[in-house]
Amino acid sequence: MTLLEVKHISHWFGGLQALKDVSFQTQNEILGLIGPNGAGKTTLFNIISGFITPTKGEVIYGGQRIRIHHLRPYQTVRLGMARTFQIVKPFATLTVEENVLTGLGMPFYPTSKALVQRYKTASNMEKVEEILTTTHLIEYRNSPAAKLPIGLQRRLEIARALATGPKLLLLDEPAAGLVSQEATELSDLILNLFHQGIQIIVIEHNMRFAMNLCQRIVVLNQGEMIAQGTPSEVQNNEKVINAYLGQE
Amino acid sequence: MSSGYIVTILTFVAIYISLALSLNILTGYAGQISLGHAAFLGIGAYTSAVLAVHYGLPFWVDFLAAVVVTGMIGTILGLPSLRVRHDFLVLATMGVNFVVVSVFKYVDFFGGAMGLVNIPAPTILGLTFRGGAPYLTLTAIYALLTLAVCWYLSKTWSGLAFHAIRNDEDAAASVGVGSARYKIYAFGISAALAGGAGSLYAHFLGSVFPDNFVFVESIGMLSMVIFGGIGTLRGPIIGAIFLRLMPEMFRFIQDYRFTLYGALLVLMMLFQPMGLLGKDSWLWKFSTRVWPGYRTSKREEMP
Amino acid sequence: MLILQNLSDALILACTYILMAAGLTMVYGVLKVLHIAHASVYTVGAFIGVLIYSWVGNFWLALLGAMLTSGVFGVLIYRSTYFYLLNAPRTVPLIASVGMFVMFTDLLQKNFLMGPYQRAFPAAGAGLPAIQTTWLSLTPKQLLILLVTLGLLVMLYFLLTRTRLGLSWQAASMDREMAAAVGINLNRSIAANFFLGSALAGAAGVLVGVYNNSVFATMGDLPSYKAFIIIVLGGMGSLPGAILASLLLAIVENFMVASIGYVLPRDSIAFLVLILMLMFRPNGLLGRE
Repeated sequence: MTLLEVKHISHWFGGLQALKDVSFQTQNEILGLIGPNGAGKTTLFNIISGFITPTKGEVIYGGQRIRIHHLRPYQTVRLGMARTFQIVKPFATLTVEENVLTGLGMPFYPTSKALVQRYKTASNMEKVEEILTTTHLIEYRNSPAAKLPIGLQRRLEIARALATGPKLLLLDEPAAGLVSQEATELSDLILNLFHQGIQIIVIEHNMRFAMNLCQRIVVLNQGEMIAQGTPSEVQNNEKVINAYLGQE
Repeated sequence: MSSGYIVTILTFVAIYISLALSLNILTGYAGQISLGHAAFLGIGAYTSAVLAVHYGLPFWVDFLAAVVVTGMIGTILGLPSLRVRHDFLVLATMGVNFVVVSVFKYVDFFGGAMGLVNIPAPTILGLTFRGGAPYLTLTAIYALLTLAVCWYLSKTWSGLAFHAIRNDEDAAASVGVGSARYKIYAFGISAALAGGAGSLYAHFLGSVFPDNFVFVESIGMLSMVIFGGIGTLRGPIIGAIFLRLMPEMFRFIQDYRFTLYGALLVLMMLFQPMGLLGKDSWLWKFSTRVWPGYRTSKREEMP
Repeated sequence: MLILQNLSDALILACTYILMAAGLTMVYGVLKVLHIAHASVYTVGAFIGVLIYSWVGNFWLALLGAMLTSGVFGVLIYRSTYFYLLNAPRTVPLIASVGMFVMFTDLLQKNFLMGPYQRAFPAAGAGLPAIQTTWLSLTPKQLLILLVTLGLLVMLYFLLTRTRLGLSWQAASMDREMAAAVGINLNRSIAANFFLGSALAGAAGVLVGVYNNSVFATMGDLPSYKAFIIIVLGGMGSLPGAILASLLLAIVENFMVASIGYVLPRDSIAFLVLILMLMFRPNGLLGRE
């Protein structure tokens, strides 16, 4: 069963076309989404997770053939889709623990549960500890999120996304701003999550990171999909090489 | 200063503590800046006044009505906050304040510019609370009630949701929080609590006039929250106490009360935007360091 | 030709709105914060204007002096407060602005300044004639407002499009960081804009003071609230939008008072319009993303 199917997505921002007829599917893999700057990768993520309604085309999720663009962003979470952001958005006034807690079953709107139930229960805290341990953030649990360095903030965003119990994880440039050791740790973490059964799509600008990590790659350039395949196929693809060379 | 005068001042302080705490839910927890909170005070006060004067209803009825009606109107008036943020929201709240006061002034049912007078003292269970210590007790109880509500709210999922929305609505959406309804809830509960304070206000003064609820009053309330420390429980309480007591203590300041309010706001924004006792303020960090054994985040800070 | 007369009355009203709103747009364009203390600048302009007029008896000198004083006052406000808060989260300068507004309003009402009463500004139409045609008539004062406003707008137009200052304003209002990156002296640019915007407000204050023959400490409140509404209507930061919106608001107010009557005062109209606008078209009438 295909988890996610992107069908003929085209999108215009005013007069500017950001995406041109992009189609691909993904299942049971770590998929990489790469391309030079301005290729439209983040726009595609925004469309998949419901933040933007595409001008044309549709996104179909899970066997239920749900049309994503009829949903609001907070509803796609309910379907088991979680995302991180290109520019980290931690909840700055909350601690690391509390950031993760927000993912653990926050009612989507003020239900009676939201009004009355406390969030810091023992069972929730256990889950938080589990997630913080997996993402190696446990020693920072009480730090205000704003005070963490960028590498840890990126991990925190992943931890927060994990808390929602996703089946599909959309990571937007998770390795940006990381030094090579942190990037390796991140790679291990992503592989770990994949082996736990979570499917992952990664936008990455860092070619080496993406090639090492992903099983399949989709390449975008100026809104169009110019190649898809295994890392070695893509690396040797002429169009891809030209696209990146053209950037320099 | 007679003891009666002191009691009167303290009664006002208690009412304003409730008001500041209620505004803090909206502005401090949920991050919706409101410069029109006095409108809610007014709606609560007028609801009680109208029910008591025009219909002769007992206190507990008009009090509850004030809470409920103000809460409902609050959720409606919160609708603009769904479309706009920050400065635009401030403008909208200012506008709401203005329109509400105009309604009080120009609609005869509310007594027009002459307001409503002869609001009776509340009678609960046969006891009449005619000012003085009994009324202070009443308002103090309400202040404690408001505090309890705020405290509990911050521990619930909705409190956490408010924090999420206040920090970053996109990130909040990414963990499944639908901002819209939570914002309306924030407006509703903030208004309801202010409405209750309004009822107490009306019964205490015995009369209500439209000019009691103008924009400048809203600024006063916001100052209390910000001065004390926005988003904390202690902040609005301290802010209300300080900014209400101060003018009463010093004649000189009484005449320049608003100049001082204004200057304080500016200075706070320049030097301590998180408030006098806010999370990162000098005073708070100092006093929690000096008080041994008090759990602070100092030992959990980054190495 | 009652409609034409009504329109011309609305036009005069619009002129004062335009000056206030244009000034506010200048400031908002580069500051991106609502400068609520703009009201105080307007009032100070009127005050200085009436003072100078009472000393020298010449309207034009009073206008000039008022504009200069307001301009300088505006720059002082910027330099003492907003300057330090440029990169703070938006709520911080907003509240500082409110604080300043409250402070100045209170101070202006003290006896050593304007006091809590009205005073007259008995400048006649500065030697201008009345206009009496079959279609409409303009009193000398109305003609004065019209001419001064037009003159200032023309000067503003030239300043914005032909000088370096104007171009730097356009750049800075589009993207402050980019503007700084290409070498525009942000500080000087913003300060100059405060000067200009505040001077325009001062002019508005003088004109209204003369027209109503009355100057008082809280006269800035309503005009400045309306100016905010106008710049929202016109699409924040757009000067032509502000001018258009001023005209529209003035026309609506004029005609509404005639038809709806006294259920709500004329000034509420503007606020109701604001609330509706913010709910349904928050990007202004000319709708920009």
